[in-house]
Amino acid sequence: MAPSFLLLLLLLPLAGTLLLPLLPGADPVRVRSLAALAAAGQLLVGLLCWRQAPADLHLPWVPKLGLELELGLDGLSLPLVLLTALLTLVAILSAPADQSRPRLFFSLMLATNLGVMGAFLARNALLFVLAFELVLIPTTLLVAIWGRERRAGAAIRFLLFGAVSGLSLLAGVLAFGWLNAKGLGFGFDDLAQADLSPSAQRWILALLLLGFGLKLPIVPLHGWQPLTYGQAPTPVVMLLGGAVSKLGAYGLLRFGVGFLPDTWAAWSPWIAAAGALSAVYGALNAIAQSDIRRLMAYSSLGHMGLLVLALAAATPLSLQGAVAQILAHGLIVALLFACVGLIERRTGTTSIPELSGLLNPLRGLPFTLGMLLLALMAAAGIPGLAGFPAELLVFEGSWTVFPRATLVSLIASGFTAVYAVRLFNRVGFGRLDNDRAHWQSTRWSERAPALLLTLLVIGAGLWPTALTGWSEATTRSLALRSQPFLYASAPLTTAALTATPLTTVAVAPELLPS
Amino acid sequence: MTTPIAPVAEPTTTPLIPPSQHRWAEVIHRLEAGGSMLPDTPENLMQIIGIYKAYAVPMDFYWRDLLYIAEQVFLDPLPAFKYFPSQEYLDLPNSYAGDQSQLRIWRGGEKAHPELLEFMAKGETTQMPKLLHHLWHDRINMEFAEACMQAMLWHQNMGGRFNDYLASDAYRNNADRAIKAYFKRNPVMLGLYKLFPEMFLEKVKQLSYTANLGLFWEVMAPVFFEMSDIYDEGGFKGVPDAMDFLVNGIFAVAGRPIYHHAFIDGECFEIIPKSEGFTWLYEAALPYVEAVFYRTSPFRGTKSYNAQAGQVPADQADFHYGILYADVFPVGSAGIPPTLLMQDMLHFLPSYLKELYRKHERGEEDQLIQLGVTFQRSMYNVTSAVIQALRAALLYPLDDTDPEHLLANRRFFEAQMDRFLRPEARLGAIQSQDYR
Repeated sequence: MAPSFLLLLLLLPLAGTLLLPLLPGADPVRVRSLAALAAAGQLLVGLLCWRQAPADLHLPWVPKLGLELELGLDGLSLPLVLLTALLTLVAILSAPADQSRPRLFFSLMLATNLGVMGAFLARNALLFVLAFELVLIPTTLLVAIWGRERRAGAAIRFLLFGAVSGLSLLAGVLAFGWLNAKGLGFGFDDLAQADLSPSAQRWILALLLLGFGLKLPIVPLHGWQPLTYGQAPTPVVMLLGGAVSKLGAYGLLRFGVGFLPDTWAAWSPWIAAAGALSAVYGALNAIAQSDIRRLMAYSSLGHMGLLVLALAAATPLSLQGAVAQILAHGLIVALLFACVGLIERRTGTTSIPELSGLLNPLRGLPFTLGMLLLALMAAAGIPGLAGFPAELLVFEGSWTVFPRATLVSLIASGFTAVYAVRLFNRVGFGRLDNDRAHWQSTRWSERAPALLLTLLVIGAGLWPTALTGWSEATTRSLALRSQPFLYASAPLTTAALTATPLTTVAVAPELLPS
Repeated sequence: MTTPIAPVAEPTTTPLIPPSQHRWAEVIHRLEAGGSMLPDTPENLMQIIGIYKAYAVPMDFYWRDLLYIAEQVFLDPLPAFKYFPSQEYLDLPNSYAGDQSQLRIWRGGEKAHPELLEFMAKGETTQMPKLLHHLWHDRINMEFAEACMQAMLWHQNMGGRFNDYLASDAYRNNADRAIKAYFKRNPVMLGLYKLFPEMFLEKVKQLSYTANLGLFWEVMAPVFFEMSDIYDEGGFKGVPDAMDFLVNGIFAVAGRPIYHHAFIDGECFEIIPKSEGFTWLYEAALPYVEAVFYRTSPFRGTKSYNAQAGQVPADQADFHYGILYADVFPVGSAGIPPTLLMQDMLHFLPSYLKELYRKHERGEEDQLIQLGVTFQRSMYNVTSAVIQALRAALLYPLDDTDPEHLLANRRFFEAQMDRFLRPEARLGAIQSQDYR
């Protein structure tokens, strides 16, 4: 397939971003349809790329700076590209039919998509940073303009954390290129072959950890997340939680594990500890929340902790689990926020003490609550749903390397059931308030995005290969440690989806168990 | 020069007694003026009459089947077909409708209502054997009627002499004869009767309350049918008119005998003979209103209250789980409100009520809740009629000029309203038309 298809993945949202504000009239439904059309087109192109992998695209851009338009797809980026396209479409369709200032809103949504998509497609570190930074502007504006009552504070905090994240990432990438003894070069191939002193590697990894850790986020870099998730409009938070935050995970896997394997392996106990801490901290805080959105934010933080644990372990299985967790969490968190958005649109609140009896079959929101229950079950890792295979792979892949951190994370994962049951018990059951329950039931057109996600969450649970198959070859090649008995007894035989892996480094440090 | 004209004082009526200071003073003043607890609005009138009609049709089945159970099924140890009344009972002439009636209240026929027969044949689904309708639950929910009977049996002491009679030797002897006659060809059951006589007697008491309730509803069904017909003819001018019709109806049939006969092998066993003089008002209507509208029980259905946590009053008289207190919203999660009855009424809603529901809240989607709220309104009106009837029977006319008498009436009304001081009472809610 021609490399122009890769360009098309960027041109479609770019066209939407530029053209939507120029549309005559501001009928929200029409603007939403056009934005959805662009996202759907992007998803379609992504699926075509999946059927037949396109060749990489190389176009010189600013050669003197080492910046080239290098785009490509591999087993890591392809599933994330599809996830981003899907979630953008679903998020756009989740916007209300009476969305205020629709042209600007959907234009910024597509701009966000453009940034995330660009980062996932980039095969050049500077291009990656550029796209990474691009995401910050539209998302900040989306929060600042359409957020809830504390939107200004949320937007400023998001911007500040994002700016620090972007700057540290830029510094890390520039250092990577400049300190490379083999010469200046920011292409991923250059970085994979880079010759860096151990000290330089440590500094660069520290910067990358700060940059990506802020984006994920992970404790103690999560300060922006609860407030932003609590204040951002539903479609935005779906995109933030489902796709944008995955930039951090992707970056850690691509840059940290892939390009700095020795330093990553040396630091991995600390990284695993941070993952376990995030998992516990997120879960415990989720239990204490009285607002559904904040609860979801902390829940997301906890699940990102599991992801970081898997990345730290860096076994073939754990890395596969990490990719599966990225995909599963993307779907689940988007579904959770889609349901919360529907609840908020009808009841006018996400405050847990103010909500009860929503499962009432006649005056409640039973369908929405049903989907919410399913999403919560998926988040809790109930078998048959997307969260289960992902968490199983994470735990199985990590416990041989970091048994204590894995055990702590496992317990933290169990807390998911605690806040899920607590939330559902309070919001779903109990007495529906006569004085408040005058809202209409949700329409099928409103439910459709969440319903689509629900089907995918179920589908991925019943057919876990949908989560793991994409990246099997790539993650195997990225693995820093082997996992003898699991791997030997059940060799992974599924054919690689895409091109050759980016890095061939797979040296387990002698000091660490293998 | 014109002589200034002194302003002519307009004639004013000085109230004979000061205004009530009760929390429900507005409602009390309305009752003192001959009104109902339910505000007099055209929509309220439409709602209550419409729901009376929808209530009367299943009620026409309830009373026939209740009498069938009390008189024919009797002590059948496996009463699997008790909800299949015989044709004889479906054709049983109503004592207050049809040409044969001694006191004709409804101008319609004496047999089962045509809408009921049509529903029994087709249900919500299609024409199929009765057993399939039953198993598919596409039928009239007799479980509701039995639950009302059980509430009356369980609460027992609610005025009248009926309950005392059930403890008398006369009743025990009558029941004993009937039990022995019913099981005369069943030595096993007779043996069990010898071992556990009280168990059998308790079952007969339950059947006596079944007959009691059947006879009560035999009166109410034609009353509600007639009210619906009058409304359709433009007869009622307001809610008080509808309440007055009920009060007059109550007095008209107040003396109707309440009895329990069982028919065993064609022989009639008078377990509670008519000669005991039990009457409709005191032995059926008042206990029914008390047990079903006010009290019922805290642990019917899937919603249970926690006695250990103090959610259930120690005194049965303080129970407050009836329709006057029901939260209609948790449909399907509580024995209170009467969800089964609401389901039954849904089949027989008049078109004007359906139209009204379509305009509010979720339209057709939540008709069940809207009709539940309407039923609540209508039962406040029925309760108002009972309160007014009691006041008329025990106290003084509303237009009495003696302040002492009016104060006695006031104390009576205030005592009645005291029962609605608890937060669960829906009296406040029904004062607003927005409560739907």
